[in-house]
Amino acid sequence: MSDKSGSEHTGQSHRDWMRHPAFLGALIGILAAFTQALLISAGGPVAYGFCVACHTRDLVNGLTNIVAGTHLALAPISANAVLPVMSIVGVLIGGYVAAKSTKEHKIRKGTNLDYVIYFLAGVIVLQLAMIFGGCPYRAALRTGYGDLSALVFILSMAAGVIVGAYIMLKWAEREEA
Amino acid sequence: MVAVGILPRDIAIYAVPVVTLMLGLLIGYFAQRSGYCSIGGFRDFYLFRHTRLLSGYITLILASFVGYLIFWFIIPSAMEGFFWANTNGLFTAIPGAPGGLSPAAYFLFAIIPGFFIGLICVYLGGCPIRQTVMASEGNYKAAWFFVGMCIGSIIFAAWVSGAVVVLMKSVGFGV
Repeated sequence: MSDKSGSEHTGQSHRDWMRHPAFLGALIGILAAFTQALLISAGGPVAYGFCVACHTRDLVNGLTNIVAGTHLALAPISANAVLPVMSIVGVLIGGYVAAKSTKEHKIRKGTNLDYVIYFLAGVIVLQLAMIFGGCPYRAALRTGYGDLSALVFILSMAAGVIVGAYIMLKWAEREEA
Repeated sequence: MVAVGILPRDIAIYAVPVVTLMLGLLIGYFAQRSGYCSIGGFRDFYLFRHTRLLSGYITLILASFVGYLIFWFIIPSAMEGFFWANTNGLFTAIPGAPGGLSPAAYFLFAIIPGFFIGLICVYLGGCPIRQTVMASEGNYKAAWFFVGMCIGSIIFAAWVSGAVVVLMKSVGFGV
């Protein structure tokens, strides 16, 4: 794969159950439902407890609206509240604290071309996620809420991953040959 | 019908940033510890038959169903339209995408973006949450991905959202 990724953590040395992805999956699922039960009076939509793309959109557009007085679109829950949803700020701080406390924080630089590719990919992935109305995480929450179109999204995403992984496998074989 | 949660509205509007910040802290911490990634789950299963990451994503789907079910029993007024396919019709999308289009449009909005998000993110080596966590670990490439998402938010709200609706209506997906 082109980068350090989740597969690096798949070794057998991590036996601690708190480090298992299934623990976090259960945590996000239950807490997302709890968050909705707690906060839904502030505004919708439903199945919005956690979403990387939507919550980034709410954070950026919400703060831009406050600072610059613009009227960029965001979810009702963030538009009605005193400040938009802050979960992405939390993810960045939580990830930083976890990486620092285990000495896994390490500056990894790329080439300028890498930065341009990742920047453009970030822009494009956000457009795609917003057209669907969620990132892979909100798709999972929506599926749990009973939205079968989100299940279609997940299956389609799995197909995209398989095609992408197959292409990268072929590239790698060609480089070896 | 206006959904009513545990907190009344005038308290909830102050609680939104605080509660979501704490939720994010927990998710960020454990996502870094576990290497949580949805795209990586499908990729590792396809390439190596590893189920570790995939189990995290499947657990998320199941746990969210259980969570919504539990809170639907406790406070049904907060779980508006649960179970969605039952109360709103099969394959009807939960709001969030640009509005005012036919159900067929939202079906396309699930298939096409889904496929390309999978394709792009497997090349990048991680889904949006993995990129965000890698950015917090000091990965500059992932940080640029996050900056791209932030700039993309403004681009989407300013131009793309409206253009997509106009395009879809012009090819007959309006209501």
